[in-house]
Formats: sequence, structure tokens, C-alpha cells
Amino acid sequence: MSENRKSLINLNGGLTRRSALKGLGAAAGLVAAPGFVRYGQAQSSEPIKVGFQCHRTGIGAAYGRWYERVTTAAAKRINDAGGINGRPLEIIIEDDGTDPKRGAEVVEKFANQHKVDLVYGTLFSHVVVGSAPAAGELKIPYYVVSEGYHVASGKMNRYCVQPGITDVKAQARSVAPWIADNLGKKVTLVYPDYAFGHDHRDFFTPAIEAQGGQVVAKVPIPPTETSFTRYFPQIPRDTDVIYHVMVGPAVLTFVKEMGEFFGSGGPQLFGFIDSLEAVDISSPGLEFLEGSHFWEGMPRYAQPDQPDYVTAYREAVGIDQNGASANDAKDVSTAAHMFGCWETLNIIKASMEACDYKGPDDRAAMIEATEAMTEMEAGPDHPQGKKLFNGKIHQVFGEQNISQVKKGKLEVVHRTSIEDGAYEPEADYTAMSF
Amino acid sequence: MKVVARSALAGAALCSSVGGAWAHASERGYVLLLPTDYYLFGGMLAVALSFLVLVFLPVEGFERLLARGWALFSVPLDGRAAISFASFLILAGLVFAGFSGSRDPLSNPLPLVVWTLLWVGVTIVQGVIGNVWAWINPWYGPWRLLVRLGVPETGIWRMPGVLGRWPAFFTLCGFAWFELVYLAPADPERLAVAVSIYWVFTFAGMVLFGHAAWSRRVEFLTLFFGMLSRLSFLAVSEREGRRKLVFGLPGYKLGGVAALSISGIAFLLFALSSVSFDGLKHTFFWLDLIGINPLEFPGRSAVVGASSLGLIVMFGLLFSAFLAAVWLGCRLAGEDDWLELAGHLAWSIIPIALAYHFSHYLVGFTINSQYALAALSDPLMRGWNLFGTAGLHVQAGATLGAQSAWIIWNAQAFAIIGGHVLAVVLSHLIAYRHFGSAQRATMSQIPFAVLMVGYTVFGLWLLSAPTAG
Repeated sequence: MSENRKSLINLNGGLTRRSALKGLGAAAGLVAAPGFVRYGQAQSSEPIKVGFQCHRTGIGAAYGRWYERVTTAAAKRINDAGGINGRPLEIIIEDDGTDPKRGAEVVEKFANQHKVDLVYGTLFSHVVVGSAPAAGELKIPYYVVSEGYHVASGKMNRYCVQPGITDVKAQARSVAPWIADNLGKKVTLVYPDYAFGHDHRDFFTPAIEAQGGQVVAKVPIPPTETSFTRYFPQIPRDTDVIYHVMVGPAVLTFVKEMGEFFGSGGPQLFGFIDSLEAVDISSPGLEFLEGSHFWEGMPRYAQPDQPDYVTAYREAVGIDQNGASANDAKDVSTAAHMFGCWETLNIIKASMEACDYKGPDDRAAMIEATEAMTEMEAGPDHPQGKKLFNGKIHQVFGEQNISQVKKGKLEVVHRTSIEDGAYEPEADYTAMSF
Repeated sequence: MKVVARSALAGAALCSSVGGAWAHASERGYVLLLPTDYYLFGGMLAVALSFLVLVFLPVEGFERLLARGWALFSVPLDGRAAISFASFLILAGLVFAGFSGSRDPLSNPLPLVVWTLLWVGVTIVQGVIGNVWAWINPWYGPWRLLVRLGVPETGIWRMPGVLGRWPAFFTLCGFAWFELVYLAPADPERLAVAVSIYWVFTFAGMVLFGHAAWSRRVEFLTLFFGMLSRLSFLAVSEREGRRKLVFGLPGYKLGGVAALSISGIAFLLFALSSVSFDGLKHTFFWLDLIGINPLEFPGRSAVVGASSLGLIVMFGLLFSAFLAAVWLGCRLAGEDDWLELAGHLAWSIIPIALAYHFSHYLVGFTINSQYALAALSDPLMRGWNLFGTAGLHVQAGATLGAQSAWIIWNAQAFAIIGGHVLAVVLSHLIAYRHFGSAQRATMSQIPFAVLMVGYTVFGLWLLSAPTAG
């Protein structure tokens, strides 16, 4: 939160130290503070309260730090432009400890104690899955930013939506055409042997086959493994591409050992930046990745041809040319995912304005307004790119980036189309009652 | 709560079908690339060699050097009551902030002060500098005030001697469980409730049984911090009504100190084992043992039972290994009163406890102490800037990347190895004082030295093993 204060001081030219993000209450001060846009009439200037379910402690804390920074920046931008329906946005943070039970408690606290208008911002899948039923029972909108397939699968409820970030199924599907056309058609999958790895295996395999490609081998790696050399002989010699989605602390070892095994030859590599999110690509041990390709939700490194609104977004959230904190070059951001917070808050604003949201009685109307959304144009509200929202499965679809490691930096070489990742809806939340 | 219970149940049922994608390639990833095996081997050698060197060195010289203190200057005032009272007022303010400040544990000063500045910062200060806690604890000042108003200094009742330090052992157990197992120890409101209850409980105890008795036997912070300060460089010595600040080498204050009772030994070893367990419970090894996939750690709520059990088992193992090593050593040295020696030797565990504390909390302290600085400048999130640090940008980068990982790992390894070497030296001196014979002291120390070597390797392994989160 201290960074919020700092960023607000900088961005507001020192006029106010008051943050749009506050732990609790004291909204009147926010409105009265100098430097803020005057809001509408006194009666309607009650703040819109957004409960931010944040991973402040527990295994998600490193991601939570960046989700919180982006949320602050996005809320400030909305408030500077006059708020939502003329009302200021107030963000209330509760720590979920990256725990599903605590997550559900926090949702209940948001609804009953803080009396927020909606809950927002959860990243880790298991916390979303643990919290969504509470949101459904308390009938409070729950806008998540987790990229999991759980929302689109239809297993959540009417109140749970993911409008700001593409899910993993679409991500895995979207890269298949480019891989088949550019890297090769014979693919070996190397993945951790549990649900996350299985999702990639199950989503990518049919997608590459549809492109005339073929998965020539599947190399599942036990989650507790920390040495990988013995698995590499399982990769067939005629493999064109290794599709790798390893995660966890041993990723650096994985890359290093792969480099030692293949040397300067070997197949092409395609990975998901999830493996190395918030990790410096030019770290020792990662030299072998030079020339390889990665999926990125949004580019970590500033691109020479990026639009002005992307530059403005990067400046607002406080990242430099390398995607690290502008104040701390070693603090690499979670750039490939955190844009989802920015876009989700803008969708919340758009939904509330579309249904003329007045208060908790309009929560169902707000969900309906989100469900009614379809195309979203790229721009300041959607800096990652244009999107297509599917109201039936409460899931957004977007363009994805394929980037190549060049001189230790990621350079975007291709943008997939929305159609590349799209799939048939497998559920219909709109048929569920509120 | 009904909603929560139902939700968690439904969540658990669904969890298996959608995997978490977010296992972090954390800083431990860089440590995995370092030649940590050499450090484990080197640490083992260093501790074993220091034992061997001691065998051949004349103990008397060491004994004299370590027993010496250098008076620095006199301390004219005993300001403990006033400073403690101010500390109480600050704590009251922090508790108020816990109830009415930010809900974010990294913006609210209460969790940051308790878990970072107090439990990590004060511990290190106690072990290195001196017994600062005697001045800044939040009970002594208010209690003195009541004594002035007529409350008897030794309390109203006497605490039964048979209790020993077991009450403190159990309050420490409660504290460790709250920190390591409980679902939301950093939640400002819940922490404010816990701190309030503990303050009132302690204060009532001090009034009823006297400040001295309660501090020695029930209040775990005072007991733990007091034990650590036995290792520190500075002490206030009081002779003939004159107070002087004295400087001595680590262990200088251990000369002539009474043997710990079995409850005191248990207390000190629980303090060490709980910190070790906090390290262990994040390792792939432990998670695999309790059937958890470390790449999709399900959160604290899923491991409450396993963590509670682990806390107890870890203590049980260390406690029995310690007693067995002393018992065996006494057999080798032909000594019957092994419990007495165990009580003396327990003091040599202090440098290890301090080293673990430093190494284990180093990364968290580096980041959260910055959050604490910011939060203290604006404790109620009202836009204040009391100390000019409200706008501090938290430099997380200090702990990130390959270079930081190397620096942190080396600092941790140095502390762990140094702590164990110091423990071997101290235990040797303690044994020498006990037996009065270098040969018997050496014989008695062989099993203990083996235990020290083992715990060194374990400590270094904990800090280098793959972990979740």
C-alpha cells in the first residue's frame, strides 16, 4: 500500500496523498481531498465499494503485490476521470492468505461487514473455486482475474465472471496454428504431472492435431521432481518442438539441464511465460532460452511499435522498458497477467454505467449488463488488445502474444487472433437463476 | 459461518478438477542452482573441526577470555518504567489501528510490528545487543504504576514452584501455533483481539503473582528474549547501587548462570524447533510426506492437522535427541547427574536459535520491515506522513534475482554455521566448568557434537531445499 501512496503523490503532482485504495471507510475524506475531480451531487457521491480479495500472504503474495499495484493505478485512473456514474471508486483490501477457506470467509466479510458492492481480483484458481460458492449464496458479483478454465467450464455460478483475462484453454489453443506453421508439426509435451499440466495436455493436443500436427510424445514430470536430465531421453529424436509448461522453483534447473542435454542443437522450444513470470529472463542458467518462443498474455518488455495507450498503461502501473518496477529494476512484474486487473475494473465501470447501478439491489442487473457485453475495442480501457466476451460462459477471449527471446529480452513476433483460441461454449450461466 | 463452511466444502470438491497454474519460480529457484551441497559439506566440516580444535586447545584460556567483561560507562537512570509505559501506550495505539485501520496486513502497522519488528527484529537485537525488552515490554511500566498505588510487588498469591516454566512453554506453544498454523495470523482485527487478550492475561498475572515470577515462568516473550540476551555483547551490571554498561564476548553472561530445569530446556528447544518446522513445512519433502502436491499448495486451511502434528513431532524429535546426546555423553564421561548437565548445556543452544531466527526470517524481514516503515507513518490510513516514510516504495528487488539469492544464501549459511560453531564452543566450556576436567568434558561432548553437526546440515538443507511459495 505504501507504493500506492507514492504513486498517487507522483501522479497527482503532490496534491493529495489520499489513495483511492483504502483499507476501510473514510470515503468522505476522499471526496473532499484536493486534487480529486468533484463528483456529482452529495446524495449520489457515496463511493462504489469494491472488495479486493488479494493474495497478500501465502504462496500468492508475490503476485498479489503486482495485482495490488495495478488495481491501485486503474482505480486512480477511473477516479481521476470522474468515477463510476459520478461516484468515486473505493477499493477495500482483505487478505485471503491464498487459501480457499479464508477466501470464502473474506467474501462473507466483504458482503456482511464492509457491505461492498462487489468482490474482485482473485488470482489463484483454488481460491476462486473455494470462494465462488460463497459469492453465489450471498448474491454478490465476483469478478475474478485468474485465467483458470473453471469459470468457462460452467462449474461456478451466475455471480462469478472472468471478463478481463483469457482462460488457459483458449490460450493453449490459440498458439497451436502458429506453432504448426512456424516451428514444426511434431510436438513433444513436457508438463508437470497434475491438473495444470493435464489441462495444457488436454487443451493443446486436439488444437495441434486440427492444424495437421501431431503430439509425438508426452513427458509428464512428477511435481516433486527437481532434477530432469533423466526425462529428456524420452523426447523422440524426430521432435520438431518441445512444448513445455513447467512451473515451481525447479524451473530454472529444468531449463539449465535442458540446455546441457541438447547443447546448441535440439528441437525448437515453446513455453508459457507462467513458468518464468516475475523472473528475469536474463538470469544465469536461462541462456539456453535464447531464440526460443513463449506465450505472453501481454508483453513484458516495451515493444517498439506499441500504441500510446500501452505506453500510458505501463507508465500508470509503474513498469519500465524491461517490465520491472520503475522504482526497482530487480522487481520484475507479472506483466503477462496483471493487465487483467486493469481491464476488469474498466469492465466493472462499464457494466455499472450500462445498468445505471445504484446500489446492492442492482447487483443482478450488473451481472446481466456484463453478460450482455460482446466486443471490446483495444484502447486505454483494454490495453492488452481487443476482446470478445461470451456472456453464456462468463469468459472473455482475446488476442495472445507469441514472443521470442532475443538478447535476453522477449520480442513479440506474432499476435494470435481471437478465433485461434475460441472454442464452443460448454455451459450457459444465463440460464441459471440469480 | 454457514456459508463459509458450505463454500469451502464445495470448493474442495471442485479443486481437483481445476489445477492452480501459479506455482512460483521463486527465489528458491536460484538457490537450487547454487552448489549448496558443498556448503552442507563445508558446514559439517566446520562444526566437526571446531570440536576437534577445542579438544587440543587449553580450555582455561578460553574460559578466562569469555568470562571477561569491559565496563563502558555508567548508566545514571533506570528509565525502564517510563519507557515501558510509553511502549504500552504505543501498543494500545497499534491495537486501535488493528481494529480501525486498514484491513490489509501490509498496510496496517499492527501485524507488521508484531510479526516483523517484534518477533524478528527484537529477537535479533536481544541476541546481539542486549536485553532491550526489559525496557520496552508493555507491562513493566503499567505494573510499576499499580505498585505505586499499593499493589504488592510480589503479588497477592504465590505461584506453585512445581509448575516450573511449563506455563511459559504452553504460552509459547500457543503463540507458535497461532503464527504457523492458524489461518489468518496477520489479519489486523484478529491479531488485535489476540494481542489484547494476551496483554490483559499477562498483566492480570503480573498483578496477582508479581512481575518477576510471571515474567520468568509464564510470559514467553520475556523468557525467550531474556534467554537470548544471555548471548549479547552488552549488559547493564548493577554493583553497590551503581549501574554500568558492560561489554563482553558472546556467552560472557552465561558464566555462573543456573542450570535450566527440564521445563526451561523444553521451552528453549520448542522455540528452536518451531522455527525449524516453519522452514520444513514449506519444503517439497514435507508436503510430499503429508500427501500435498507442492505445485498446487492448497492453503493453510488444508494442512491445519498436519502442521499441528508436525510442530509437536519436530519438538519431540529435537527434545529427545538433545536429552539422549547429553545422557550418552554423561555415560561416556562417567557422570550420573545428566539432567543437571542438560540444564547447563541447554544454554549453548541459544546461538543456534538466534542463527535460525535470523536465517529463516531474513527475506521476509527485508521486505516487510519496509512495509512497516510506511505503515507507521500513516497507521490509520488517513493520509498522514508522521515520519516521512508514508510514500516509501517497497524495494522487493533487494530479495529478488540471482545476485540477491547468492548474497542471502551466503548470509544464511554463514549465520547457521557460525551459530553452531559458537554452540560447540559454549557447550565445551559449560562441560569444562561442570566437570573441571578437560578430558571428561571432551568425552561428554562427543554425542553433543554429533548432534550439532547433524543440526547444521539440517539447517542448511532447510534453507536450500525446494519449497512451495
